[in-house]
Amino acid sequence: MDIDDILRQVDPVRHSVPPETRDLQGLTRLWVAERSAPELLEWPQDGLIDRVNSRVKAQIEKVEEMTGDMDPKTNFALIVIQTELERYKYLVRSYLRARIAKVDKHALHYLSSQELRRRLSPTEIAYATRHQALLHNHYLSSFLSSFPEKLQNLNDTSGNVSMIDSPDPNTTVFIRLLRDLDVQGMGTDDDIKLPSQNGDIVILRWSSAKPLVDDGDAELV
Amino acid sequence: MALPLPTGLVPSEVSFLSEMELVTVVPRQRLESIDLLSGSTPTLRPPYRSNLPLWLAILLKKQRRANIVPPPWLHPDSLRDVIFHETKVDPHHWAPPPPPPVRADGLGNARRLNSFMDDEVVLSPPFLPSCTSDAPSGSLPYHWFEVAEMLLAHAGDDIPASSEVRSLLRDLQEVRAAKMRMSTAELENGVDSVMPLRGVGAMEVSESRGFVIGVLEGLRKIGTSTEVARREDEANKAADGEDDEGSDEEMGL
Repeated sequence: MDIDDILRQVDPVRHSVPPETRDLQGLTRLWVAERSAPELLEWPQDGLIDRVNSRVKAQIEKVEEMTGDMDPKTNFALIVIQTELERYKYLVRSYLRARIAKVDKHALHYLSSQELRRRLSPTEIAYATRHQALLHNHYLSSFLSSFPEKLQNLNDTSGNVSMIDSPDPNTTVFIRLLRDLDVQGMGTDDDIKLPSQNGDIVILRWSSAKPLVDDGDAELV
Repeated sequence: MALPLPTGLVPSEVSFLSEMELVTVVPRQRLESIDLLSGSTPTLRPPYRSNLPLWLAILLKKQRRANIVPPPWLHPDSLRDVIFHETKVDPHHWAPPPPPPVRADGLGNARRLNSFMDDEVVLSPPFLPSCTSDAPSGSLPYHWFEVAEMLLAHAGDDIPASSEVRSLLRDLQEVRAAKMRMSTAELENGVDSVMPLRGVGAMEVSESRGFVIGVLEGLRKIGTSTEVARREDEANKAADGEDDEGSDEEMGL
């Protein structure tokens, strides 16, 4: 560390958010978005989950080391570390479980196209494919095999009716704006443009909100 | 394995989220910095104030290791101002949210904490310092209800005039809940595509989410045919317009 680094730390112009806070904010935002969005959102591509997982692992090792010495002073620090660890783990677990719930609900939909598959993590793709195969085999052995062969598919799209159930993109969602901008939305009686400010909460359809959320101009709440 | 909860945060999740809000504490004993997953905590040295997440502040409070400094908006005068605004000044909308936090830089300018100038992650509640002792008074932050409830429950003796604060909070909650219910009554005049809820709180969103979404989804299903007809009309008009333009150009040629 040289003098520039020290100056950078005390200069408020260059104030920056520490990477740990950044990751926690990122994880929290992912979790809230996944809990509120009607469809499965993209798996983070920047390695956030890997980073979080390795940090959790390191922290667990540290707890194991610290449990050894029974110094009353470090004892309290241990309680704090464990409490925080549990909170962090809850966040990760709840995020993954919310995703599994969506994959379970519309498994065939998310496996149907390459573009949708890209939203899943490698483990989720493996899970969804195997689960779907097991389910189909079970249906086949219990009742589908007695049907005529051309009626045995689970992903039939002939006759203008698709058997694949997909989430409704027009579901209503609540978003918070992260900068001042005009919100454009599609509505039943009118499509309007509403000038809004940073921090405002707005209700609109997911199909209108998705571009804003993808660009980082808004987040789901 | 899969999460059995409905879409949208439920109240217990909202309260989990609000426990990440930073609050100001006055330590009563020394505590070295602890390396946490969300960053190291500041070294606590009495009587210097520090900002800590609410869950940690409550833990320290329970062990009588620190006192919590209530945020300025939890003062009875500030709450009375907000109630006055909610009932008299603007009885149809929520009181405006606190202004975006600013930070002074070395050149004497005030900068928004969340400027898009550098590619920093944009902070939003509960990571904005809206419940510390530097927070502005006279407006309610996003997690006002949960933070106030938790502070009253666990650190009631640190809050001046806590019984008065409690009754003011109850008034405020009732006034604002009525507004949330009223917001759907406006839909009788036509369903707008974007509904603003400026200044609403997290718990209020959480508790009425099911109701509001139910109403809007129902209205959308009833209005589907009207909407389709309107869109076709507009598409036709747009197509006609293009034809007209085309003929104009031809005329010009």
